[in-house]
Amino acid sequence: MTPKCRSGNLAHFAVTIIGKDRPGIVADTAEVLFTLGCNVEDSSCTMLGGEFAMILIVSHTKPFAKKQLEAEFAAKVQERGLSTFVRSLKDDEVCYQKPAGELCLISVYGSDQPGIVYRVTRELADRGVNINDLNTKLVGTPTEPVYVMMIEAVLPEEMSVDEASLLLEKLKKELSVEISVRLITPVSF
Amino acid sequence: MAVQPILIYPNPILKMQAWTVEHFDDELRQLIEDLVDTMRAGPGSVGVAAPQIGVSSRVCVIDVSNNRHGKDNNHGLLLMVNPEIVARSGAAVMREGCMSVPDYTGDVERATEVTVRFTEPDGNVREFTATGFEAVAIQHEMDHLDGFLFLDRITSLKTGLFRRKSYK
Repeated sequence: MTPKCRSGNLAHFAVTIIGKDRPGIVADTAEVLFTLGCNVEDSSCTMLGGEFAMILIVSHTKPFAKKQLEAEFAAKVQERGLSTFVRSLKDDEVCYQKPAGELCLISVYGSDQPGIVYRVTRELADRGVNINDLNTKLVGTPTEPVYVMMIEAVLPEEMSVDEASLLLEKLKKELSVEISVRLITPVSF
Repeated sequence: MAVQPILIYPNPILKMQAWTVEHFDDELRQLIEDLVDTMRAGPGSVGVAAPQIGVSSRVCVIDVSNNRHGKDNNHGLLLMVNPEIVARSGAAVMREGCMSVPDYTGDVERATEVTVRFTEPDGNVREFTATGFEAVAIQHEMDHLDGFLFLDRITSLKTGLFRRKSYK
């Protein structure tokens, strides 16, 4: 697969913003970026606990220094109670490599206990399964907390969904959790 | 062979309501041949609608028989002129992508069973009920005839499921 690159004459940055949730966090952040002439190329923003978290890949025509971006965020965003972090990206970090293997949704849930995330993701990592997306929630009742984890992951090219399922079978018993793996590789029409 | 280039959004033809076909002539037969050639040439493509190759006519071709989701349950190559869905039932979510919207995929809810009526290029009217993946393909391609892309159908963000109302 050919990596897809859109770097050209652009400087790229990874930016995170986290703060106590309220209406306007995205608008405040986007306003700073827009004023600076930055483009939001990729983003994922969500509520985590009572916090609102934003992860962005932004670009700006070169020359544009990381410190310009940081200075603006420090001044305009942090005074509104948001924490931020900025990192410069190298050209090879901007390229998106289309995965070759099957895309799976792995759902894991059961009584809350320490180690669910660790054990499951370690098993996947050791077999070369690449996580694209992961989110967890603590649900259920205070007396019977239930942990839910949803993972979207790309299997290595030679691994089937059944093999991935089998791989997690042992953990299912050991942790007494439900684990299911299903194919969600997109169909292109 | 006349493989045509696939139009990519924001080409305005993709957002138009396509015209009903009135003349079953050589032009229509040529269009259908182009659609089939273009579908066969696309990597893993299971269908192409006329607007995707720049022709705003209510025509689409579908063949899911070579796809792993459709190989055991299909009606072969479908050449559909002026198709209409006359009944639909059930609902299932599948992650879809589209040649006209590269590099993006999303979960779309579709009926699991559709009864479709259409005219074949020779004028013969056909009606049958498709289920499963073929039904999804028919709905996706027919959406192109009304200017809908799968982006118009994405129903939910995947993180929405387990959001709690209060945190303690």
